[in-house]
Amino acid sequence: MKKVKPFFIFYFILIPLLVMAEDKSAIKPITEVNVHSLGPERVGNLPIVPVPPDNPQTSLKILLGKQLYFDTRLSEDNTVSCATCHDPALGWSDKGPTSVGIKGQRGGRRAPPVSNSAFNDLQFWDGRAPSLEEQAKGPIINPVEMGNTHEVMVKTVDNIPGYVEQFKKVFGTETVNVDQVAQVIAAFERTVITTDSPFDRFVKGDTKALTDLEKRGLEIFNGKGHCTACHWGGHFSDERFHNLGVVPADVTKPDEGRFVVTKNPNDKGAFKTPTIRDVELRAPYMHNGSEKTLEDVVELYDKGGRTGDPNLDPLIVPLGLTKEEKNALVAFMKRAMTSLNQEVSNVKPIPPSELPQ
Amino acid sequence: MKKLFYIILIFFFVYLAFPDKSWSIPAFARKYGFNCNMCHTAYTKLNDFGQRFRDNGYQIPGQEGKEKNVFQTSPPISLRTTTGFSMYNSDHGTTAGFNIFGFDFLAAGVLHKNISFLLIYTPRIDEPAADYQGPGNGDNPVQFATLESVGLVFSNIIQDALNLRIGRFEPAYHMFSSKRSYYLFQPYEIYTFTTPADNYVFDDNQIGIEATGHFRNGFKYGAGFINGNGANPDNNKYKDIYATISQTFGRGEGQSAGQRLGVFGYYGWQPLDLPGGVIAPTGETDGTDNKSFTRFGGSASLNWKTFNLQGLFMKGIDDKVFNSLEPTKKYEYTGGFVELDYAGLLDNRLVLSGLFNWVTPPSYNSNNQINAFSALIRYYLGDWTAVNVAIHAEYTHRQIGKSNTFKDDIFALLLDFDF
Repeated sequence: MKKVKPFFIFYFILIPLLVMAEDKSAIKPITEVNVHSLGPERVGNLPIVPVPPDNPQTSLKILLGKQLYFDTRLSEDNTVSCATCHDPALGWSDKGPTSVGIKGQRGGRRAPPVSNSAFNDLQFWDGRAPSLEEQAKGPIINPVEMGNTHEVMVKTVDNIPGYVEQFKKVFGTETVNVDQVAQVIAAFERTVITTDSPFDRFVKGDTKALTDLEKRGLEIFNGKGHCTACHWGGHFSDERFHNLGVVPADVTKPDEGRFVVTKNPNDKGAFKTPTIRDVELRAPYMHNGSEKTLEDVVELYDKGGRTGDPNLDPLIVPLGLTKEEKNALVAFMKRAMTSLNQEVSNVKPIPPSELPQ
Repeated sequence: MKKLFYIILIFFFVYLAFPDKSWSIPAFARKYGFNCNMCHTAYTKLNDFGQRFRDNGYQIPGQEGKEKNVFQTSPPISLRTTTGFSMYNSDHGTTAGFNIFGFDFLAAGVLHKNISFLLIYTPRIDEPAADYQGPGNGDNPVQFATLESVGLVFSNIIQDALNLRIGRFEPAYHMFSSKRSYYLFQPYEIYTFTTPADNYVFDDNQIGIEATGHFRNGFKYGAGFINGNGANPDNNKYKDIYATISQTFGRGEGQSAGQRLGVFGYYGWQPLDLPGGVIAPTGETDGTDNKSFTRFGGSASLNWKTFNLQGLFMKGIDDKVFNSLEPTKKYEYTGGFVELDYAGLLDNRLVLSGLFNWVTPPSYNSNNQINAFSALIRYYLGDWTAVNVAIHAEYTHRQIGKSNTFKDDIFALLLDFDF
């Protein structure tokens, strides 16, 4: 003890450690996640819908995209459309617990909501698609979902004069390609935005828009419930990936989530944070529908996850919520976060007879 | 002479009872738009999430580099003060009055990914009144300015396993922070108990360097290399070392969930000859006749629903040369505390707590034996973003000495607010 030389320690231990601490990300691109903004940020109203410059919104394009969204002819056996799993009547998701595609095949995950998906930085539960356009191409060729190929799907659309005519008006081309199909579907999806919930009205100054119980739920949502650690900003999502200790559908072969994309061990069992907007309409919950109700979801978080997953996100800790606090939290997520946008909630499927022939 | 002794004793304990307090940092809540209960069971006590946030260098765990730094946020500054009415009663009289119990200026934030800072400055509140007749030649010790904490945190040098704090900081061997306790006055007697000739105070923040690690299996360690006199400059040329480990069983950090057990040890040196000779331009003294002392103990933090039971036991041993009472013996003492907190009412806005402290010095120094019981009620006016106001009522009854017992009571009704 008496022989310790502070300078020795400083130069030969401390300095190398500090050099190790130097942020290497300054020279390396962040590949594990495309950070769209630095947060968390205060919860609030949605911002303006981001539109990529190479796919500007036009009314014709949106209408065409809506028609294709509801058209089962995009699938291999003409039975499944985008709306089959992303049903407007079910919060633009499905009844679950996971999605069912062609020939009654059940997938391992449920459909993420299309509503407000324009604000997603990455698409799919595992974030494997960087845009709505790329996302739209995926289910068409997924053997469990629409079971088609892009070539066959394009040929199908190209053989429907009503579509060919519209594509020509939108893109000025004689033939249809898969990128155009994806672009018009994405353009339609960018119109599925819910901006008018009681919460939104409350944020804009209508203090009576929320009940006292819902106001209390909002406080808990942003405090003791720790919800805004991930569900933040106008979109109520950090656009990042977390392992919540969700019970896997198959314990012998758990879904590895984001890890499949990044191969980063820290991403095992991690899934993208979904928005809370309109969450009441989308039961059951989690990527695999393992939580039947919002009450169950709150219970999962209150326990600090349901499994002892070694890769549990460090944000997940037991909350110690009382029964009354849980009730308030659920009340906030139910009515207060459910949109009143008639133009979105009342979207009806286009009957096959009204689709282009 | 006896009267003078008691007056000095009273002022000594009043000084111990009203140290400068911190910490709750609404600048963090402001940065994220969070309510205070995101990180605090009820401020200032950290919950599990807040503990992980602190351990991770004031970054949300797993989000390093993906959040704003201090240059991208509003100024990372917070203020805190506590003011109200207090009454002090002892065998020798009663005082009562309105007071400001400290004012904290806090600044903290992330400078760069995995590099953050914390600064806490407690300015002098005001000059002594003209008719002030207290100790210290008119300098009320409660009102001294203090740079309570300042330094950098280098996080995740090795992911989770190695983090460094450099500067003046609260050492990891404070397994329960007196600065983030609900109790606004001196909560833990064992932290401030001083032996006959050893100037080391367990409760002090220290200047030096500390390595910590926290792992997903609930294991934590901390080890440091510090001046040990809690001051700047140091009073001797030898540095003190300490180490602590803890294990949390179950989910959580043992703050508001999970069951945490820990042990700690401290080995330090203090000079017999104070202040020694100043031999460095930075003010250090050579502090002659340095002798060693140790502190070690264990702690437990147990959680059940919204109850938190925490306790700490500590033993201190000073070299016999520090023992002016029995110079042939080492000075050995034990002590600890048990605290039960309940924060389960009204969304954690109502906090109840009871605390028992004891210090058992050697029999020949039994006049320094301490037994104290404290209780408090805190009510928070709201769970708001980056603002907190609490009505705080706290009572402590203390008995000092075994045969010739000195008793005192402290009661305070205060407003505690920060923003």
